[in-house]
Amino acid sequence: MTAAGVKGPSLAGFTPAGLAGVALAAAVMITPLLWTVGLSLKPNFELMRDTSSVFGPPYTLENYRAILANSNVFRWVFNSTVVSLSTTFGVLALSSLAGYAFARLEFRGRRALFVAVLLGLAIPEQAVIIARHQMFSALHLHNTYPGLILPGLSAPFGVFLMTQYFRGIPVELDEAALLDGASHFTIFWKVLLPLTLPAQATLGIFTFLASWNDYWWPLISATRSSMFTLTVGVASSQMNFAQTSGLGYLMAQAVFASVPILIVYALFQQHIVRAVAGAATR
Amino acid sequence: MSSLELTNISKRFGAVSVFQGLSLTIAAGEFVAFLGPSGCGKSTLLRIIAGLERADSGEIRLGDQRIDTLAPGARGVAMVFQHYALYPHMTVRENIAFGLRNGGAPKAEIAERVAEAARVLEIGPLLDKKPGTLSGGERQRVAIGRAIVKQPRLFLFDEPLANLDAALRTRTRLELAQLRRRVRATMIMVTHDQVEAMTLADRVVVMNQGEIQQVGTPMQIYDRPANTFVAGFVGSPRMTLAPVGLVPGDARFATVRLGDGSQVSTRVPRADLPSEGLLLGLRPECVRLGPPRPGEPTAQVEFIERLGDRTLVYVKLGDGTAVTAEDKGASQAQVGQTVGLRLAAAAAHLFGPDGRGHHAAGRAG
Ligand SMILES: Nc1ncnc2c1ncn2[C@@H]1O[C@H](COP(=O)(O)OP(=O)(O)O)[C@@H](O)[C@H]1O
Ligand SMILES: [Mg+2]
Repeated sequence: MTAAGVKGPSLAGFTPAGLAGVALAAAVMITPLLWTVGLSLKPNFELMRDTSSVFGPPYTLENYRAILANSNVFRWVFNSTVVSLSTTFGVLALSSLAGYAFARLEFRGRRALFVAVLLGLAIPEQAVIIARHQMFSALHLHNTYPGLILPGLSAPFGVFLMTQYFRGIPVELDEAALLDGASHFTIFWKVLLPLTLPAQATLGIFTFLASWNDYWWPLISATRSSMFTLTVGVASSQMNFAQTSGLGYLMAQAVFASVPILIVYALFQQHIVRAVAGAATR
Repeated sequence: MSSLELTNISKRFGAVSVFQGLSLTIAAGEFVAFLGPSGCGKSTLLRIIAGLERADSGEIRLGDQRIDTLAPGARGVAMVFQHYALYPHMTVRENIAFGLRNGGAPKAEIAERVAEAARVLEIGPLLDKKPGTLSGGERQRVAIGRAIVKQPRLFLFDEPLANLDAALRTRTRLELAQLRRRVRATMIMVTHDQVEAMTLADRVVVMNQGEIQQVGTPMQIYDRPANTFVAGFVGSPRMTLAPVGLVPGDARFATVRLGDGSQVSTRVPRADLPSEGLLLGLRPECVRLGPPRPGEPTAQVEFIERLGDRTLVYVKLGDGTAVTAEDKGASQAQVGQTVGLRLAAAAAHLFGPDGRGHHAAGRAG
């Protein structure tokens, strides 16, 4: 029934054929990952000759050393962390407040405003990027953290998700709390918000991943190397022709850029599994 | 413990008018049941009293204080919701303490009062559990605990037993009756179940379509239903309502003639009885079966329901009038059989064309 029912992985309930199918699917998924990691551990000159050399030694950490030797790399990790965390917490806060308002408060123009939010879902970033670029130029926001964070805070999907989630919570809870003498803020903060945690986790994880992996806007907005995010920074070090720096180096960059994601995954593993399985388990 | 006084309450939802000038007084310490069919406005009235819904006009007084202008939390009213509405993420203890915390009570006092409520309701072992792990009956107790811990002047219960299965319902009904004796407060319970209303309440308010039909003790409601609605709604199976004509005469009590010509000598005073459009009201237990006898109605058995301890026999008079009779558990009646009806005429009711009830003189009430 609730997400609390999700335990660790279990093989019970699979038929042998089903198990084989799942194993095959897992193998298909993991092969490119192993390939990437494997290539990143090879000297570049060997890969130039033949990528099948990945199956045998010598292996080396030279490519990773080369990445860390770039003085800017830690700055980029820091930038990405600041931008992604700020975006995530900002989106969570704004979506929760807006969702509560749309789901629970009566005010003029509520419907029209909600429709406007939904329309936001239908507008692709490409359609507004030039206007946004102009606007941020005028406001002198390029090459600043606000410049990287603010666009991500407009999250119509988050507002929509939280509105639906708040609507799914029985109004009787609000009413019981009203009779318990709770203020509107207490109801929001102590009664309803804790109940939206599963949705917060889902939204938070997806927002963080999207923000961390975002490439286009940081590429446009951050022109100074010190303001690059990790994605932009890593790409910038590839110069014009990627192969010049070597395939192994490229692969090491990919692995390096995804390490923070792996850490996030390890920390929030349970929540991520629930978030993805959410539709099925609720 | 306070009296409650509703004066001229009106309420409409858009085009739908639920109440038009409803008034009602409930004495301090009384347990009153709002009884009526679904959609008649029982919950709405309860919610208006609690402050979850605003009346369009009218006044509500609790004790000597006017409360309809106050916020729900400031009215001294506690409500047990139909689906309990426990806070799912809080433990039972936190659920019960929530109202006290919002009221800013000192920690020690909160702990003391929660413990006291847990003792009264015997939910001590549940205090650290989450509502999701409790059974329906346990949730019910917690919901009641959350109400009594606030020591309200008025308790409101919305269909408290509706969500419980039959066995638990009977037990919980008894518990509510006991709770009632331990917790001294004015209580209102909403129900569409007449057995709950009759067994628990000091007085029953029978409602239909937003109007109060009758207010009285359970036995008054049962023995002297104010109108055909109350007569039909209270009592299971329904009271038989058969059209009759008034037999002319000047005796003190009315004698009426059923559709098949047989006469029934009631104990209803003839004075101020309308002469036309009368309905005879007979509870099933006032209609017994026997061999046909001259001067008594005879009928054909249409349908039989065996309940074990008694048998309900649905019969039709010669003119097609349907009557419900009651027979002993091991009834010999058979479908299609012709039987005589022994009417306890002294317990018969008469209803005028306006639906108003006229009852035998000198009976309870
Ligand atoms: N929030 C509401 N909006 C519109 N109509 C309502 C609302 N609440 C109740 N009603 C209507 O008011 C009437 C009484 O409802 P209710 O008090 O819930 O009845 P009961 O509790 O006796 O079953 C019903 O016709 C119902 O449809
Ligand atoms: Mg109701």
